Amino acid sequence: METLNFLMQGFDVALRPTNLLVALFGAFVGTIVGLLPGLGPINGVALLLPLAFALGLPPETALILLAAVYLGCEYGGRISAILLNVPGDAAAIMTTLDGYPLARQGKAGIALSLSAVSSFTGSIIATCGVVAFAPLLAKWAVAFGPAEYFVLMVFAIACLGGMVGDKPVKTLMSALIGLGLATVGVDSTTGVYRFTFGSVSLSDGIQFVIVVIGLFSVSEVLLMLEQTHAGQQAVKASGRMLFNLKEYTQTVGTMLRSSVVGFVIGTLPGAGATIASAVTYMTEKRMAGASGRFGDGDLRGVAAPEAANNASACGSLIPMLTLGVPGSGTTAVMIGALTLYNITPGPLLFEQQPDVVWGLIASLFIGNVILLLMNIPLIGLFSRMLAVPNWVLVPAITVVSLVGVYAVHSTTFDLVLMIGLGVFGYILRKLDFPLSSLILGFVLGEMMESNLRRALSISNGDLAILWSSPITLILWALAILMLALPGLRWWRATRRRVHDKGAETQPAP
Amino acid sequence: MYVRLFAGIWLLACAGLAVLAWGFEAPFAYDPVGPRAYPLLLLGLMAAGALWLLVKPKGEPTPPIDWAIARKVVLCILVLLAYAFLFEPLGFVLSTALAGCTLGLLFNGRPVPSVISGVLMGVLLYVLFDVLLDVPLPLGVFRLLEN
Repeated sequence: METLNFLMQGFDVALRPTNLLVALFGAFVGTIVGLLPGLGPINGVALLLPLAFALGLPPETALILLAAVYLGCEYGGRISAILLNVPGDAAAIMTTLDGYPLARQGKAGIALSLSAVSSFTGSIIATCGVVAFAPLLAKWAVAFGPAEYFVLMVFAIACLGGMVGDKPVKTLMSALIGLGLATVGVDSTTGVYRFTFGSVSLSDGIQFVIVVIGLFSVSEVLLMLEQTHAGQQAVKASGRMLFNLKEYTQTVGTMLRSSVVGFVIGTLPGAGATIASAVTYMTEKRMAGASGRFGDGDLRGVAAPEAANNASACGSLIPMLTLGVPGSGTTAVMIGALTLYNITPGPLLFEQQPDVVWGLIASLFIGNVILLLMNIPLIGLFSRMLAVPNWVLVPAITVVSLVGVYAVHSTTFDLVLMIGLGVFGYILRKLDFPLSSLILGFVLGEMMESNLRRALSISNGDLAILWSSPITLILWALAILMLALPGLRWWRATRRRVHDKGAETQPAP
Repeated sequence: MYVRLFAGIWLLACAGLAVLAWGFEAPFAYDPVGPRAYPLLLLGLMAAGALWLLVKPKGEPTPPIDWAIARKVVLCILVLLAYAFLFEPLGFVLSTALAGCTLGLLFNGRPVPSVISGVLMGVLLYVLFDVLLDVPLPLGVFRLLEN
């Protein structure tokens, strides 16, 4: 009951004319950023964050803008996946598998509208999950002390290593680089200057906006030099634009299952939309068995990843709102946005800033309705955006990035630092280091250190405080489990390989 | 191979930074940890990771460097740097027009459209940001025209 009251209050905030307008704008921009190959939700949020700050938007409005962009990207990624066979963002990779074949069969309109509804279903279910679980978790998390927080962040980083892809060492290295970048600047407890190399501009630490834009936008520009196509010809969406009832009933089970799974995966720190869409696609494929035509145009193959990636995007807001620990790269950027406004995300957010939290949650519902309404009729307009050539697109991205960074401090030093970080990010990406874990580390860095030091101040330097409470013990156990996962997978894979080899050589008497 | 090279450089960087971090000392103790331990812990873990990659860089064969692209990347970085350094002296409109058209050319745009899009971007984005959205941008040389 109390929750419903708060939700009503949230709708009050979200329905204010400026906030509605901002949500509309964010949804539109987000869809476009999402559908442009190479630009994902982190880029979208990173480009708009400094502008929101420079425009002096109040915190709840800024957050609504960023959330709308985030959701919009998850909607937009599917458009290029279906029409071009190029995923608009990483989470849409699975959508290409069945989406493009459907488009080739002349069913592009059906695939697009059905995937829009799947995205909508996923987001709405996950947002309901946020409403149901976030306040509970927040209440519970208030009991967390600095030691618990520190271990929680260790767990979040261990999660990255265990869940993100097949390169745990590189992932953890990225996270460590992020944590290290966060130590630059004056140490808040003792006032000692660390890694500033005598520069006044660095004494304040490296600005969050500069790191995000440098690592994601500038490095993206450099990566785009490799694909110099001048805009691509998309498959024309012709024929029936809307799915019919039969197609809907066929896929509704898939949508619901994938939404729930996507939501659960999204709430885990580190595991984001990419993993959620892959897991649900594989599950649905296995469940369909021989009756499915997965891979050459099964509608369920479009519904599952789309429902899952939107659900996980919303689910990743739970750890961000309740614990202050990001559930994905994009929510890490949103946490950075909150700290720009001097709001510390965490369990107290629900008590201290109910307008921000509930306004954001209510705006997720509204943003989804906007996106659904926008995505079905405007699909022609959006697919035309795919034809924008790189020689217009790249300069535009560059200029907006520069303006965003310049708006924060108005110094040339920041611009140069941004380019330096961009080159660094480019090198890391070429070497296959995941940047989203770097940004997660950067966001967690300061909190992690201050919580560790606060915990040790309480215990007067005794390290035992870090594993003295049941919560910390459970979190350590989970963290160790996560770190062991890649090793376990590797062990199973080699055992299977040995087994296969044995089977091959056997039938030769 | 490149991963090995990177890991090696990173290991050296860790060592250098650790020497630097060793010097972080607070004049008197505010907390039992002090400003030195945490960075040293991170550097130690990073060095361990770099060592791992140095010894066991997961063996995908590295593609040879595409020099045509590498040259373009270097050019692009130079253009970006020039843009950053000229941003304040020349002002937003001029520097954006210049950067817009050189970047356009770098991304295989034809000369005339690139120049047009660069100039348009400089003027239109200035109007959008500075006038409509109230984000202050440097005027640069146009300041002389103002008086």
